[in-house]
Amino acid sequence: MLKKSKKANVEPNISASPVTMVDRTIIGNQIYIEGTIRGEEDLLIEGSVKGSIEMKAHHLTVGSKGQVEAEVRAANVTISGKLEGNINATGRVEITKAADFNGEIKAKSISVEDGAYLKAVIEMEREPTQKAVPLGKPDVKAPSESTSEPFVITGKDSKGS
Amino acid sequence: MAASATNLNQKDLNQHIGLEGYTSNALALFMKHLDQQPQSRLLDVGPVCQENIRFFAGRVWKYYVCDMFIRLDRYIRKGEPAYQIWKELDYHPESFDGILVWELADRLDEQDVNRLVTLCHSMLKPGGMAVVMVMGDQVASSETRSFVMGQNYRIYLRPQPHLDLPLRGRQNRDVLSMMSPFIPAKSFICRPGFMEFLFQRE
Repeated sequence: MLKKSKKANVEPNISASPVTMVDRTIIGNQIYIEGTIRGEEDLLIEGSVKGSIEMKAHHLTVGSKGQVEAEVRAANVTISGKLEGNINATGRVEITKAADFNGEIKAKSISVEDGAYLKAVIEMEREPTQKAVPLGKPDVKAPSESTSEPFVITGKDSKGS
Repeated sequence: MAASATNLNQKDLNQHIGLEGYTSNALALFMKHLDQQPQSRLLDVGPVCQENIRFFAGRVWKYYVCDMFIRLDRYIRKGEPAYQIWKELDYHPESFDGILVWELADRLDEQDVNRLVTLCHSMLKPGGMAVVMVMGDQVASSETRSFVMGQNYRIYLRPQPHLDLPLRGRQNRDVLSMMSPFIPAKSFICRPGFMEFLFQRE
């Protein structure tokens, strides 16, 4: 279901309306949406969405039950479910180990956990004089978690030509 | 390998496999080759690794990641034929200046190795290079580990306990044989027993 609530003031009877958590809307796992979603608050998708998602100043989260096939424009994106499409984020893209992502990524920073099911095109935006990102000794613990600093990436196409 | 590396902390793991990281000559040459290519495209077949994404995406024009390890693992777990994973490598011919094969070949049977090599040969541009790693006997483990890029081409191993893949234990001559469509450019036997190979398409 779509859920919407405001801080502690959760209105009890907002039947069939989205529920907002502080500044976040939740699309529940029984909801299917096809079309364009535009928003001015954060969005958590646990249902199915096909189309496009535009929320340039906010955070999109694809929850573990979420299934999204869309072009995404958002400030930040977290993927723990399935997302097929291209991401254009002005901030950070976080791909957790539960994620299944297929598409292109354009963002200022990214984190990817070991175990993510990933097929992606990543193109890093670099300043003309910028050298390769220096690396320290990596975290080699097992199982690994996302620990790395952000970095800049951009992507355009998913095919190798 | 007698003990499961999964249950070891990193210090113990390093001692266990006799490895504190090593400097990869093959990757250094590989990157030198890519640095010379305008708008270089690199394909990495995994396992997905944050540090490698960070490194390679910072060095090439476009960095393609298609984790074939996790795909292979899922097909095996489902009891489905492994050859189905190859449909995932649906890139156009002559797309890439380089392919990071890592030790994927050592997780495949002969038929699938041939499919992998054929695909790599097709996807590489003429003159393109492929990096192949093979664990030596000293560090061979049925446990899958990612080759994690550190500073100055220092490579560390990180266990991938979510992957359960067979290890074929190929030797030097096996690798050269399976990669016969390519020109062997360089090979290195690293101190802990790794073998690194750099192959080039004519």
